[in-house]
Amino acid sequence: MLEVCDLSYAYGDHVAVDGMSFTLRRGEALGLLGPNGAGKTTTFSCLAGLRRPRSGELRLEGRTFLPFACDTDRAVLGLVPQEVSLYADLTARENLAFFGRIQGVAPEELDDRIAAALTLAGLEDRADHRIATFSGGMKRRLNLAVATLHQPPILLLDEPTVGVDPHSRHHLFAALERLRDGGASLLYSTHAMEDAQRLCDRIVVLDHGRVLAVGTHEELAAGVGEPGADLETVFLHLTGRSLRDS
Amino acid sequence: MSRLLRPAAAIAAKDLRLFFRDRVGLLLAFLMPAALVLAFGFMMQKAFGGEDGGMARAELWVVDQDGSAASRAFVDDLRGLAMLEVRPAPDDAPLSLEGAEASLRKGRAHHVLVLPRGFGDALAAGELPELRMLRDPGRSLEDTLVTIGLSSAYMGATQGRAWPAMLGRLLEQSGASPEAVRSAVAAAEQTRRLMEAALGRNDGKDAETGRAPEGDGGDDGQDGGSGLDFTAFMRDMVPLEVEDRLPPERAANLSHIVAQSVSGLVVMMLMFGLVRCATTLLRERDSGTLDRLLAAASPRDAVLLGKFLFTAASGLLQLAVLFTFAELVFHVGMFRDPVTLLVLSLSLTAAVTAFGMLIATWARSLEQANGFATLLILVMSAVGGAWFPVQLFDMPLPAEVAMRLTLTHWAMTGYQGMLWNGLGWTSPTLLTSIGVLWAFAVGASLLARRLFHRRVLPA
Repeated sequence: MLEVCDLSYAYGDHVAVDGMSFTLRRGEALGLLGPNGAGKTTTFSCLAGLRRPRSGELRLEGRTFLPFACDTDRAVLGLVPQEVSLYADLTARENLAFFGRIQGVAPEELDDRIAAALTLAGLEDRADHRIATFSGGMKRRLNLAVATLHQPPILLLDEPTVGVDPHSRHHLFAALERLRDGGASLLYSTHAMEDAQRLCDRIVVLDHGRVLAVGTHEELAAGVGEPGADLETVFLHLTGRSLRDS
Repeated sequence: MSRLLRPAAAIAAKDLRLFFRDRVGLLLAFLMPAALVLAFGFMMQKAFGGEDGGMARAELWVVDQDGSAASRAFVDDLRGLAMLEVRPAPDDAPLSLEGAEASLRKGRAHHVLVLPRGFGDALAAGELPELRMLRDPGRSLEDTLVTIGLSSAYMGATQGRAWPAMLGRLLEQSGASPEAVRSAVAAAEQTRRLMEAALGRNDGKDAETGRAPEGDGGDDGQDGGSGLDFTAFMRDMVPLEVEDRLPPERAANLSHIVAQSVSGLVVMMLMFGLVRCATTLLRERDSGTLDRLLAAASPRDAVLLGKFLFTAASGLLQLAVLFTFAELVFHVGMFRDPVTLLVLSLSLTAAVTAFGMLIATWARSLEQANGFATLLILVMSAVGGAWFPVQLFDMPLPAEVAMRLTLTHWAMTGYQGMLWNGLGWTSPTLLTSIGVLWAFAVGASLLARRLFHRRVLPA
């Protein structure tokens, strides 16, 4: 569905993404797994149209995809940023209504979409409370729900479960599984092995801006010569054991 | 077009909603500017314009060491002068010399007049009593007022006897021969006596105060009760026919300084308020919501347009509230020409909004934006005449050019033209101001859009 072909991006002299290629298939959850500084967030920024790639190409359903330059291309994407990106002094409903309008949801459909998003986030009874009064988990759930308002076929999820309690984490995974089962394609960035193992159909292992391996958990384990090994073992095998502080 | 306008309107509506939920923001946008307009308006009125919008008054503290009926009458005469505010007030305790000197040292008083013992006796004996003035030499404006007021009161108290002596001193200082001085003084003394005789008051003086009886020749209290109005006399030395010409569009009791301080403060506070609104763009960037807006399927210019609409709407609201407040408190005649007020306010709001957007798109951080904007606004306010009517001063060319480069100057010219000169928006003066404000609005908006694409949008 979405092909990333030889994508590169640099911050000055520092190359953050270096010739990255992978494909996101329709209805799959693809994990981007990498240590800090591997280039996950920069890749997401390029895909979401927040950065213009220095080189490479993005293709959607076989045609050139230009989210940076073309407003309508961005309509197929739903971005869930790493940080909670909501207005703390607006209620959950007001946040959803605003982002729905920005995403071009038709006024006559907006109420239904908001109701569905509130259900997805499990926040029906807190719809008219300000975000400032929400727990971290509630904010994370709403952060996800906002990205689904315009029913995009592709969701870009940048570490959406960071810092949430087990209940909210469970709710978030259930919501993501429902979206995937409903036909959405999920590109899921994380460095949490258990998250990737639970949700993702396939995994792209990144380091230093490059793709090290792509495949299912079993394929990756077999690829490093340790069939049956858990994902963390495979990951450390691929990326090495040195500390990453950036 | 609706692809641009619809999300822009949504952003503006969202920001207005957040604006009204932010109590601190509301305080900064409405309450604080209103309080400042009130405080400055009253202060300026008191300091420079007189409570009735008339002439300025200087404070004169009086130490009456004589305590005679004549010295009390003299102080009363001083109180009757429009240019002086005499301390202590009639019902307050008398001031001692030590107290007055302490007040001078602390800067509370700037002119202290000492009426020495024997003041009343000297007056009764037909002499010219000597007075003593302690003053702060840095208060030259007040010194002029005090000197004029004191001269007038002294002339009145001495029944004009000071006049020949003053004339003699003037001639001496001018290098006249002693003989010429003597003959001129004698002639002046003779003239004075003739005047007193004409008033029929040679024998009618009050034994204690040395003043003519009540109702004897006095007409307006400006003359110290002597019947000889020396303030009017000095004014009338120039053959001048004075005719008042109040523009019919101007509020009758409006003083120039109040019109100046009200419009100046409103313009300055509008700039602060709108920079705060425009920099919500930077707040969105810091909080991560800007990325979400930029990743949406709307034209990215909608973000800039939305911020512009929100900032402009806040500005118009702020102007409406502050002008209404100023009208209620100071009766400045703000709404006498609503069309001109609207055209001017729209022009100013557009220009200041563009200024705010320029700051918001140029700055790398909120701190940078606030620091730079504060500096610019204060400089523009001072140079452009929001604090003092600098446009009335004769300034060197560079200062004149600097003044004309400020938004404040054109805004002040517009509002002062409307309030003070009663000009309509079609007058050349106001059309020029409006044209400059719109030219700035368009130019700064285009530059802000360019900066938005180069510095705010991701590369």
